[in-house]
Amino acid sequence: MKTWHWISLGVLTVISLIVEFTMLADYDSHWWNAVPAFYIIWGFLSCVVIIYVSKWLGKLFIFRSEQYYDR
Amino acid sequence: MIVDFLLIPAVIVIIGGFILPLLPQNLRSSAFLVFPLIALATLWQLPDGYTLTLPFGSYELVPIYVDSLSKIFGTIFAMIAVIGGIYAFHIKDLGQQSSALVYAGGALGVTFAGDYFTLYIFWELMAVSSAYLIWARRTKETDETGLRYLLVHIFGGGLLLGGILWHTSETGSILIESLPDVYSFSSVLILLGVAVNSAIPPLHAWLADAYPKATVTGAVFMSAFTTKSAVYVLIRIFPGWDILIWLGVAMALYGVVYAVLANDIRQILAYHIISQVGYMVAGVGIGTEMALNGTTAHAFSHILYKSLLFMGAGAVIYSTGKSKLTELGGFASKMKAVVFLYMIGAFSISGFPLFNGFISKSMVVSSAGEAHLEWVMLLLILASVGTFLHTGLKLPYFTWFGESKSKITVKPVPFNMLIAMGFGAFFCTLFGVAPGLLYQYLPYPVDYEPYTVYHLVEMTQILVFTFIGFWILRKKLEGDAKLALDTDWFYRRPASFVRKVFVDNVDRTFGVADDAILSTTRFLTGKFKNPMVWLNPFTDQSNEASRYSPGMEVVMSFIMFSFLILSLFYLL
Repeated sequence: MKTWHWISLGVLTVISLIVEFTMLADYDSHWWNAVPAFYIIWGFLSCVVIIYVSKWLGKLFIFRSEQYYDR
Repeated sequence: MIVDFLLIPAVIVIIGGFILPLLPQNLRSSAFLVFPLIALATLWQLPDGYTLTLPFGSYELVPIYVDSLSKIFGTIFAMIAVIGGIYAFHIKDLGQQSSALVYAGGALGVTFAGDYFTLYIFWELMAVSSAYLIWARRTKETDETGLRYLLVHIFGGGLLLGGILWHTSETGSILIESLPDVYSFSSVLILLGVAVNSAIPPLHAWLADAYPKATVTGAVFMSAFTTKSAVYVLIRIFPGWDILIWLGVAMALYGVVYAVLANDIRQILAYHIISQVGYMVAGVGIGTEMALNGTTAHAFSHILYKSLLFMGAGAVIYSTGKSKLTELGGFASKMKAVVFLYMIGAFSISGFPLFNGFISKSMVVSSAGEAHLEWVMLLLILASVGTFLHTGLKLPYFTWFGESKSKITVKPVPFNMLIAMGFGAFFCTLFGVAPGLLYQYLPYPVDYEPYTVYHLVEMTQILVFTFIGFWILRKKLEGDAKLALDTDWFYRRPASFVRKVFVDNVDRTFGVADDAILSTTRFLTGKFKNPMVWLNPFTDQSNEASRYSPGMEVVMSFIMFSFLILSLFYLL
């Protein structure tokens, strides 16, 4: 990842936030529209939760050695 | 009359599968493309409401019934048969070519079936023909996988047939109509049968088991036909069944969790089929016009981008011979075209604006919102984060970009593979840029605009922060060289035990009985070969009829003669 990649991601986020707080300020079709930057939080949290929960489940009972069925 | 039946799209393609062996080898790949193209042209000639009937005992079969829903599914099945055919253009394996055509014909047949029996016949045809696409690799592992695949589908087909017969005896009708949301034996059996093919957990394990082991080209067809034709049947028969909403959400999340754990690139994609079909199943469960439109549109988009993704993964396997994340990495510069085209598929499945996933997935998700199923909506969004995370980030990163984990030699990819991927990528982008092209053919009138400010803000924020999450935690996502247990454990693990009880033991019992009978026979024939040995201990032990004494021969002839006379008297 080069610096300009991060800058463009930052710019995109800022634009999306500006639009959210101006054009979509009155938008209210779901309860979470009241939470500012909800989709940022939800996207990031989902990502973290998916990775950790899946890996945890994997260690808990899902992972076996690759030869499990051959034995 | 007979001509009408020959012009049924499914029949055209299946006949193609039988004509192929009669053609010279260098014409087969081109001929492969012709039949789905004819089917495509034919099905667009057929007006809505077109139907044919065929007497069958006291019932009437409806081998073809055309409406906007079957037309759009038929179109995408025929399209993907053509694209898959281009991808497999270099293949010289007649078995694969023929069975892929019959498989495509089966999917078309299911789509246009107007009655349950026709549906069932094509359903089973799909199972049998697709199994060959796994067996064609001819290794011990794929032989076993193919057999498991076939057994599961025969089991599912059996459930379906049981449900159909029960339904027919209850209602007296074999016509396919939507069933009311009531749990009766017949409807539950049909639902279970269809659930096997739609890969609804816990009946889904065949998919993640079989698709990674199919041939490079075969997996492209498999990713398109089986689950999506089942989704079509769900739309036909089970719209608005509440249970499907939550089954769909569960599927969407289940696929995502397992995609984290999977190591084989095509297994990651396979688990994402389960996840994506979850959106469709949930859409069918919601059952509103918008949801059913969304399901149809998503099935259409899904077939395009998922086959593109499978083509990309197939290209990696073709050129490197490796399929595991733990063995790949670091050769993006050697297959730039494949990476580029794959990424279009990855952007599509992740729902990037301007690609076709955005215009269809958002429709299903929004329909959940409109039906006030807000948790369904949030969980589906969560699943779509997982989709981007794996298909869009983890898989390409560890396959092509991350550090190389083993010595990789990159063989050039046949040009036809790239052309096929190009077609897939073209359509993914076309329908993303111009959603109206797809929306106008959906079964219900569309009153939905995907490109709203709200959706764009939503997707931008989600995608950017999923990416950031991935970048921070990417070490965690490295492939594990492990096997992830799935529900196929229930029929794979006890296999050796079942084999022992029902095959080996039965074999052994038969063997013992066989030996006993043979040795008794051997003993008796030995003893009765020459009764003279018992009567006269001094006689010649080696018994040859030619050396019997004349006296003996006279006695024996007399006995035989008396026996004949007596039996004649008895009979008369």
